[in-house]
Amino acid sequence: MNYLLRHAQVLLATLGQMARAPLATLLTLTVIGITLALPSGLYVMLDNLERVSAGWDRGAQASLFLKRNVTEAGAHKLAQQIRAMSSVTGVDYISREAAFAEFKKQSGFGAALNALDSNPLPAVLIVRLAVDNPAAAESLMTTLAHLPGVDLAQLDIEWLRRLAALLQLAERGVVMLAALLSLAVLLIIGNTIRLAVVNRRTEIEIIQLVGGTPGFVRRPFLYSGLLQGLLGGLLAWLLVEASLLLLSGPARELAGLYGSSFALTGLGAEQGLSLAMAGGLLGWLGARLAVGWQLRQIALH
Amino acid sequence: MIQLNNVSKRYHSGPSDYVALRDVSFTVAKGEMVFVTGHSGAGKSTLLRLLTLIERPTRGQLLVHNKNLVRLSRWRVPHYRRELGVVFQDNKLLTDRSVYDNVALPLVASGVAQRDIPKRVRAALDMVGLLSKEKLHPIVLSGGEQQRVGIARALVNRPPLLLADEPTGNLDRQLSDTIFDLFHDFNRHGVTVLIATHDLRQVERLGKRVLTLKGGELVRDTGISE
Repeated sequence: MNYLLRHAQVLLATLGQMARAPLATLLTLTVIGITLALPSGLYVMLDNLERVSAGWDRGAQASLFLKRNVTEAGAHKLAQQIRAMSSVTGVDYISREAAFAEFKKQSGFGAALNALDSNPLPAVLIVRLAVDNPAAAESLMTTLAHLPGVDLAQLDIEWLRRLAALLQLAERGVVMLAALLSLAVLLIIGNTIRLAVVNRRTEIEIIQLVGGTPGFVRRPFLYSGLLQGLLGGLLAWLLVEASLLLLSGPARELAGLYGSSFALTGLGAEQGLSLAMAGGLLGWLGARLAVGWQLRQIALH
Repeated sequence: MIQLNNVSKRYHSGPSDYVALRDVSFTVAKGEMVFVTGHSGAGKSTLLRLLTLIERPTRGQLLVHNKNLVRLSRWRVPHYRRELGVVFQDNKLLTDRSVYDNVALPLVASGVAQRDIPKRVRAALDMVGLLSKEKLHPIVLSGGEQQRVGIARALVNRPPLLLADEPTGNLDRQLSDTIFDLFHDFNRHGVTVLIATHDLRQVERLGKRVLTLKGGELVRDTGISE
């Protein structure tokens, strides 16, 4: 009980010390907050982009051009067979006549096409895919292309592949940036604590001389690092949410233009608190390294 | 209580070593009051630094409370220091803390229960006659009062051994008498006291055992003890 009470006292004293130097505290917290907000903000943007692209993946379609000898009944039977597949959400049949009529209407060569002896276009099955990545789409396409009656299966998945590669690259970039900026937080807090130890050198020496253990000497500095990191993390969460609030209006408007109800989402409570805790952990670690190194310089024994 | 057997302390200083203490041997019994005298550079402060474990001897055996300080592990050092009261010439008070907080520091650092701290701090301040000044900061106190705060801090943990390094170096004659009388009083109450001083007037006035150091060697031990 006495042990917990002493920890609570150190925690309160550390908060008091931070409150007594509001400008210095605010500056340090702001630097930590911005540093942590950068990778967090990028992560949120990437997460939103992935959600949008996942929607696009689900909207992917394949065109199956049927052999000329496939009858209309045969085409419908094939459509039924494809509909039964789990990774297919729907199949539309476009007959040779319907395809020819559509082509005549859209191409502007109506009169010229009338001169043809026969309809050159094949019947087509439009297959709507329920896959969420290019690899799955490609695998499904191989299956569809080998079905009897299918002459050619076509899917433009290059753009999906490129998007996936870009997202993967961006993800890797965010991880690297997060690692570098975490190191920056570690160094910022470590340096702040190092200066605090230097400023309180006399006090530390006196505490050692009256029987204070290294743990007792370290404790206020560790709490200081922990609190700076924790509050910096909370500030980073706030900055990310505020930025999303500013962007959400234009993003909704843009999505509306594409007929989508997409809305930007932030970190949420769980991820936000994880960010604050990660900040706290980095702060504690930075303080532990700095105070450990610095105390070895002034150890009186 | 204190036993030194051929203790030496050597510092590496440029091409040649500097010997601060050379083969010093003596014993201080429990309840004794001993003065360590000598000119500047005689080795008085080095002896105190060894006894407070700020430094370790280069050679020899140093026993305090039957603990061999030469072999004492680092993590035991704080516990050893809690059994000492140390008074410094420059007080070593924290100027941004009140008199009360300065005196309470050894108790807080030792993990004494919170409820016991006020009683013990006030008892220590009462012993040195500064109870009425507990809320003041050391900066507003006189030199003699500051030194008495340092003594209260040294005694608040009720140590069996009190060490003082030139405790009246900056004080006038009257204040010096007051401070030394305090040490004498504590000694009469059973505290073992070892004081490094060059104030021979106080040494003669109190008539206690005197160890004289010269060039790092113990040249005289009056062996007078009560």
